[in-house]
Amino acid sequence: METLNNMLYGFQVVLTFQNILFVFIGVLAGTLIGMLPGLGPISAIAIMIPLSYGMDPASALILMAGVYYGAVFGGSTSSILLNAPGISGTVATSFDGYPLAKQGKAGKALAIAAICSFAGGTISVVALMLVAPIMADFAVSFGPTEYFALMLLGLTAIASLSEGSTTKALISATFGLIIATIGIDQQTGTQRFTFGNPNLLEGIDFLIIALGLFALAEVCSLILTRKKKMFEGDQSVGSLKITRSEAKEISGPIARHSVLGFILGVLPGAGATIASFMSYLSEKKISKDPSSFGKGNIKGLAAPETSNNAATSGAFVPLLTLGIPGSGTTAVLLGALLVVGVQPGPLMLTDHPDVFWGVIASMYLGNVFLLILNLPLIPFIAKILYIPKALLISLVIVFCMIGVYGVSFSTFDLYLLLGFGVLGYLMRMFSFPAAPLILAFILGGMMEQSFRQALTISNGNYGVFSESPVTVSLLVISLFSLTFPILKGKLSKKGNLNNNNDLSA
Amino acid sequence: MFNKRSLLFSLVLVIALVLSACGSNQSSGNSGNNGNDGQATDDWKPEKPIEVIAPAGAGGGWDTTARTVSKVMEQTNIIDKRLAVVNKPGGGGAVGWAYVDKKGGNHTLFVTSPPILFVPLNGQSDLGHNDFTPIAGVIADYAAFVVSADSPYNNMNDLIEALKEDPQSISVVGDSAPGSMDHMQFVKAVKAGGVDVKRLKYVSAQDGSGMSMLLGGKVDVYSTGLAEATEQARAGKVKVLAITAPEPLEGETVSEFKTLKEQGIDDQFVVWRGFMGPKDMDPEAVAYYENAIKEMMETDEWKEQRDNFGWNDNYMSSEEFKKFLDEEYKTMEELMNEVGLKK
Amino acid sequence: MLKSIDRKVSIVLFVFAIIYLIASYRLPAFSYSIVDADALPKGLGVLLAILSVLLFFQSPHEKPAFKLKKEEVAILLSVFGLILGYILLFEFLGFLLTTIIFLIVTSRILGYTNWKSIISVSLGFTVVLYFSFNYLLQIYLPQEYCHSRKEGLAWKH
Repeated sequence: METLNNMLYGFQVVLTFQNILFVFIGVLAGTLIGMLPGLGPISAIAIMIPLSYGMDPASALILMAGVYYGAVFGGSTSSILLNAPGISGTVATSFDGYPLAKQGKAGKALAIAAICSFAGGTISVVALMLVAPIMADFAVSFGPTEYFALMLLGLTAIASLSEGSTTKALISATFGLIIATIGIDQQTGTQRFTFGNPNLLEGIDFLIIALGLFALAEVCSLILTRKKKMFEGDQSVGSLKITRSEAKEISGPIARHSVLGFILGVLPGAGATIASFMSYLSEKKISKDPSSFGKGNIKGLAAPETSNNAATSGAFVPLLTLGIPGSGTTAVLLGALLVVGVQPGPLMLTDHPDVFWGVIASMYLGNVFLLILNLPLIPFIAKILYIPKALLISLVIVFCMIGVYGVSFSTFDLYLLLGFGVLGYLMRMFSFPAAPLILAFILGGMMEQSFRQALTISNGNYGVFSESPVTVSLLVISLFSLTFPILKGKLSKKGNLNNNNDLSA
Repeated sequence: MFNKRSLLFSLVLVIALVLSACGSNQSSGNSGNNGNDGQATDDWKPEKPIEVIAPAGAGGGWDTTARTVSKVMEQTNIIDKRLAVVNKPGGGGAVGWAYVDKKGGNHTLFVTSPPILFVPLNGQSDLGHNDFTPIAGVIADYAAFVVSADSPYNNMNDLIEALKEDPQSISVVGDSAPGSMDHMQFVKAVKAGGVDVKRLKYVSAQDGSGMSMLLGGKVDVYSTGLAEATEQARAGKVKVLAITAPEPLEGETVSEFKTLKEQGIDDQFVVWRGFMGPKDMDPEAVAYYENAIKEMMETDEWKEQRDNFGWNDNYMSSEEFKKFLDEEYKTMEELMNEVGLKK
Repeated sequence: MLKSIDRKVSIVLFVFAIIYLIASYRLPAFSYSIVDADALPKGLGVLLAILSVLLFFQSPHEKPAFKLKKEEVAILLSVFGLILGYILLFEFLGFLLTTIIFLIVTSRILGYTNWKSIISVSLGFTVVLYFSFNYLLQIYLPQEYCHSRKEGLAWKH
């Protein structure tokens, strides 16, 4: 009852002409900025902050929140159409989204992405409203040992990410971990493999690797097939039509990954990127037909798209209830609150209930706006694929370049991007999967730091990893996840002696 | 595959465009130069948009300061050219500093704070404060040492006693690298209290998870900034053992925080922020920016933003700023030598 | 022995692993840490070396996933060269000019023949991007062409 009253109060705040307008402007600006190369929620919010000077605090945060989830929403477009993830949260989206687009189903893929984003966003806002205060304790219950175990769990899923040789998948993953060791080590300040180059001090940006390995490598393939049409036959690329059975098929992933995405979003440090990968991996693990993943399986698109938007709402939990920013994006949001004179902290709910409930209520509205805004646009956006290949290829290259430059403003990073493009192409040529590399890169850095933080705190006592029940259960699941495919592989090998090359799940 | 004619054509096109662009620009460059000469040198004014470098990503302290100052300057028309904030993240500032150094000139400024002393001392940047021109100090903030509400330590001396007994029994977390600000401000304080600082246990949480590690009971002490601590203390989630301000602060919650000096520990640490320019900046330009900043800090727009962020005014002229930096550098150098972190 | 492509790759990987290991052993020690900065790199180097040996002895693919014809290699290399040129000139000539030239030349080389649409798309795309970044979003793509030269002149006098 109390929640209902609070919610009504929230809607009272939102349903003024001015605030509805701000929600609209926010999601519109967010979507458009999100579609631009390299510009994710962080830049989108930072750009909008000066606009909020002198605004009413609730309106300002409503605007910023709209920009935030709008940008996550818009980020999937380039992932699906061009295999060029503009932000880290949408890399997993490209795994099945881009194959769908290549099959001439770009409209459908975009529509599924939009619907899943909407559903993930909306379901997680309900969760945010109902359980935010309870989840606050959960958010701080994760410390170094828990994060280590969580990252390890993600890493053990690598074998299942790839078709073909497990050895090659493991080599890719090791390479990802090696790349993650470049830069200043956080625990000791030691420079690792930077060769005295200041551009490498903070390591290599995730976006460079993703755009290089995925988008630029794909550009090479497109160059070789530039004489052929993008897709066979006369497809209606812009068609949004989703059949009833498809709708049924994605309803499962939507339900599962709204929850998973929200939970991972709540954890400071996990965020949308890790949530989308974990969702993709778990969806593949439980699938009856895992080999169709990566070839345009709509579940493989629905899972990460639901998850990254759900994680976005989750990230508001520590911000609104504890005043702790859980990610780079919420840290910028926190800055935006300071600008309008609100001190975020544990007392925000009592001091500024209008901000707290107003923002939550505005998110319902924002998600509806996003859907209404985006669905009619899809047929036009999907037509990008009708651009003649020769022209499209050059545009994609520029898109990647600006994406990287707009984040780091350094040409050194552009050379790196080109280097990773070449690496990505060579990996394709020699059948090394790229996904394990990027996954290991994301998880590896945090895994190493958490491991060493935990041991510093415990004075080198490894027993610290058995002290928390969460850590122990995550470690057990990791062990299971690691051994299961091998056991399964051995069993199927016994039955099928000819197929001696297939160790992967 | 491609026909030679089109390739040749493209090539000619490129060359033509490049030549024409550079040619036309060279002349415009020269004319700009003449304009510069024509102006009286003691009354320098910016002739084009000013680049304000925040040597970090969007949203951090440097970025916020840069954006706020640039916004107020434009709003109040103190500088009538655009002040474009450009983020140059990387290396704890080193990338941005290298950029400013390379760019030079009178139209590039950057925001800076104690890391310009720590990062070079850590061996992570070849450029230090002496490679730039101090323009003006703007604001001051202070460090706070925080424990969770149910911690056995109630004041700084409790903590120092425990650290004297066994430095390894207490874990300290901070958001910066070892040997950088959050670490050294704590080292400096407990050293003044007589602790053997060589054996301190410092955990670096650079993803900003320090506060959540403290609230979750994973670590004992969080070394952070005053602003981060205040709201949590007001809500009763944490206890602030000490702040590093020289004098007790005024304000609703912050007045309850005890300074180190009030607890008999002879130490203070100011987290200052200010603006610097490239080494070759003309003295006239330095004077121009110095005055502009001074003027800006007297506007109501600035005061409102400053209060929102909880900053304290700490104006220093270019000369004072330089002297202050030299002194601070010496103190930090000695300290880091002693801890064995200087590289 | 070395006929299979996987074996060649595995040798390259092994050499890389050894170099990485050597670099890991050269990392300076930090006196305060319990697990030092070199621990993970050493482990990864060993792991990569083991995996590359494994790859060498596994029943390998005899051929790469696909083979390139000479003319295709030429095209790929020329696009590579164009990108390299693009990066080299990017800050020197500024975003607008470099991008327009790059789009025109690359599309041309890839065999697109419709001049009208090449030029209109290149101009339109570049100008729209440029203005939305530099003016709407205030993210500054390099704008002053021959920038360094101009600055140089301005400050030498």
